[in-house]
Amino acid sequence: MRFKTELKNIRTFSRLVAALNTLEKIAWVRLDDDTVRFTVIPDTGSQVWASFSVDTIFDSYHIQSAEASNTINLELPLGPLQRALKSALNSNHASLRLTKRDGIPMLSMTIHTMTKDAPSRRGNNPKTTDPMDRNDDYDDADNDPFSETNNSLYPQESLELTHKREREKVITQDIPVRVLHPDTVETIMQPKVREPDVHILLPPLVQLKGISDRFTKLAITTASASSSSSSSARKEALNPKLEISANMHGSLRLRLVADTLDITSVWDGCLENPELDPAQLTVPIEEHPSTKYREAGPEKWATVRVDGKDWSRVLSVGRLEGSRVIACFTHEHALILYVYVRRADDDDFPGVGAGRDGDGEDVVTYYVTGYSP
Amino acid sequence: MDSPLLEVWHGASASPFLPTIGKGTQFPVAFLLLLIGFTLTGAFTLNRSIINLPLLGIPASLAFAYVPVVPRLNMSQPTQDASGPPLFRAVTSSTRPLYQLLKAIGFTNKIHVEITPEGLRFGADHARVMQGAAHWNKNLFASYITNLPPAPANNDDDDAATDDPEPVSFQISLPAFLETLQIFGVADVAARQSRLDIDPLARGNPRLNNQHRTGGGGGHGSDAFSLQTLHGSSTTSSNGTCILSYPSDGGPFSIILDEAGVKTTCNLTTYLPETPEDIPFDVEDLSFKVIMQARYLLDALAEVGSISPERLTIAVSRKEPYLRFRTSGSHSGTGAPGVESTVDFKRGRDLLETFSVRAVDRAKGERRWSQTFKFDTIKAATEAMKIASKVSLRGDGQGVLSMQFMVEVEGAGGGGGGAGGGVPGGGVGLSFLDFRFVPYATDGDEESDTEGEGDDVDMGDV
Repeated sequence: MRFKTELKNIRTFSRLVAALNTLEKIAWVRLDDDTVRFTVIPDTGSQVWASFSVDTIFDSYHIQSAEASNTINLELPLGPLQRALKSALNSNHASLRLTKRDGIPMLSMTIHTMTKDAPSRRGNNPKTTDPMDRNDDYDDADNDPFSETNNSLYPQESLELTHKREREKVITQDIPVRVLHPDTVETIMQPKVREPDVHILLPPLVQLKGISDRFTKLAITTASASSSSSSSARKEALNPKLEISANMHGSLRLRLVADTLDITSVWDGCLENPELDPAQLTVPIEEHPSTKYREAGPEKWATVRVDGKDWSRVLSVGRLEGSRVIACFTHEHALILYVYVRRADDDDFPGVGAGRDGDGEDVVTYYVTGYSP
Repeated sequence: MDSPLLEVWHGASASPFLPTIGKGTQFPVAFLLLLIGFTLTGAFTLNRSIINLPLLGIPASLAFAYVPVVPRLNMSQPTQDASGPPLFRAVTSSTRPLYQLLKAIGFTNKIHVEITPEGLRFGADHARVMQGAAHWNKNLFASYITNLPPAPANNDDDDAATDDPEPVSFQISLPAFLETLQIFGVADVAARQSRLDIDPLARGNPRLNNQHRTGGGGGHGSDAFSLQTLHGSSTTSSNGTCILSYPSDGGPFSIILDEAGVKTTCNLTTYLPETPEDIPFDVEDLSFKVIMQARYLLDALAEVGSISPERLTIAVSRKEPYLRFRTSGSHSGTGAPGVESTVDFKRGRDLLETFSVRAVDRAKGERRWSQTFKFDTIKAATEAMKIASKVSLRGDGQGVLSMQFMVEVEGAGGGGGGAGGGVPGGGVGLSFLDFRFVPYATDGDEESDTEGEGDDVDMGDV
């Protein structure tokens, strides 16, 4: 079993991992010849299935596995991966490979950074990694998976520092992983949801998140202010539910109802309901639920209730730059977000209507947990 | 901002037409009239005489005559009522000053709102020992319309309404109100942020970054170099609007925020006004008056508050130490000397801009005033101290403390009267926050103080 690759589009990769990390600490990663897939399934809250084409984030990709269709399944902690990617952000190049250290499988990230001449001697800023602390010698017995091996407390500096010379720093970040047997992951299935009633292109997620977060805060502050509620009602109030609705006429609505107020934010008719690709549908387009919703007029809303905090974590995917997000509403049942990630080197933005399953495309799929009213 | 038609539309929705005879009762009323008509006609035909003519005949015909009028009675008013504006409607492009002023009295859950033609007055009350009032002058708004009912009758004439309108009052949830006001600006900033993220050119421009970083409160001015011009985006407007309205008595108080393509409507449930009586403060019987920078008061209280005290004693005297804040720890209730902390303005008399003491301590013949307050109540005014430029501390003969804060508000034209405090309104951009505190009842020698502050009870002629 071998896996070795160079990284590219580290910023995108890093933001994806950061977004996933808000939902759950552990992810299941599935690598094969063409795609790399990240799956996050928290105990409570929304699931994420992120599927990227290998070219998007990897370069010179080598994979070799005894399993069927050259697949490697890993379970990895997102926190260390996020930290590793952070230190790789400004690197010249970084590579990732699967290795084994003291019998423990590791995903080892090697980061090469060129430092320009140092204008002044910086103290031991913990952010800047020290050249002497290169971790190429693998006899480091420190197996603590969460230690950042590049953080030495007392860095030794050589006399060379006074010379203004370009030097290369090499940082190695080891991420402990578990290699999963194919049988164990076979049972994990992507949720099946019936055809959505409404699909709509969401407004910029930063904006949506800003308003949603205010709503959640509003619910919490007003609930904690009213002391009359019982403990169970209070607990309910501390996990406020937002009502999200959309219609097939370009409108999205966010609503919160509490004792003291009734607040609604509406994006009125300014959003886009992308056309469906009939080739992808299992039913004729005339019979598709969304067609019925469109014909029923702008007053026909598909509504889903979501947990405010969970929704906020989901929306943190807005950090992925320039992504387009399509929300699919199944009335009072489910909400699915398809986040189409724009590649930095790709002007040809993925089609909106096509490929809703995201096969072979860079798409992050969120299955948002809905609550009954 | 809004087209006149839209205004009319808003107005119409705000004051729904209510016929004198309700829709549901039209049929029964008409039916009753018909029935009366028929009965009387029947009686009249049975016994036709001169006497019965006015007694039965005329009422009968009148009853018939009014049947078709019943629906028409109801049709006569809508032309006036449909355009009848809401009780109150105000528009602004920046909620920041509103938020700041309101937050200063944010120590209660429910706040009392009073709508007057001059502005909105907010009153917060804490257990009747502390009251805070804030005032939104109508100058804070781009447009401010009230259609308050005149005191007695409900004439439809507009000029009657302006004569002596009765202020409309109700209560709303203060935390909800504050949070909602903060939503304003979120959408806009977020929209800018996302555009900045996409456009590396904009990201590279530090000036633009600064602009959006500081723009928490919304209401950014747009100049030739603003993002809108750069991107030529016409779908989003940089300046959102915030509309406050109270359509009808007993209805919800609504806040409509419209910016960056998002329209947020928040209907706050209104509650019956509790009409808390103002803590009486006798302006005629002032014991002392100190005007100082609010910052000094904040610093002094931060100093003495470090021991997390229970009580705060404010002493004012003509001699040194002039003004003293002394706090004592939680043991003071038992009379044991707890931890104490004192700040004197002994050498800092220059810090006090106005200083006059009129109270006479009869026992000593000194002019001094001293009262003890619950520290937490005074601390609740901290927010006001932060945003105010000056504070006027006054005490009256009964020991009630009044703190009046002068806040310089951006975008507010000539300030109106202080919030019921009796101090006339200042110049341009000033707003006032008014706090009143009731002291602990002092009975005789409760004070362990050697200066004999307990004697001060006498001075008010209780």
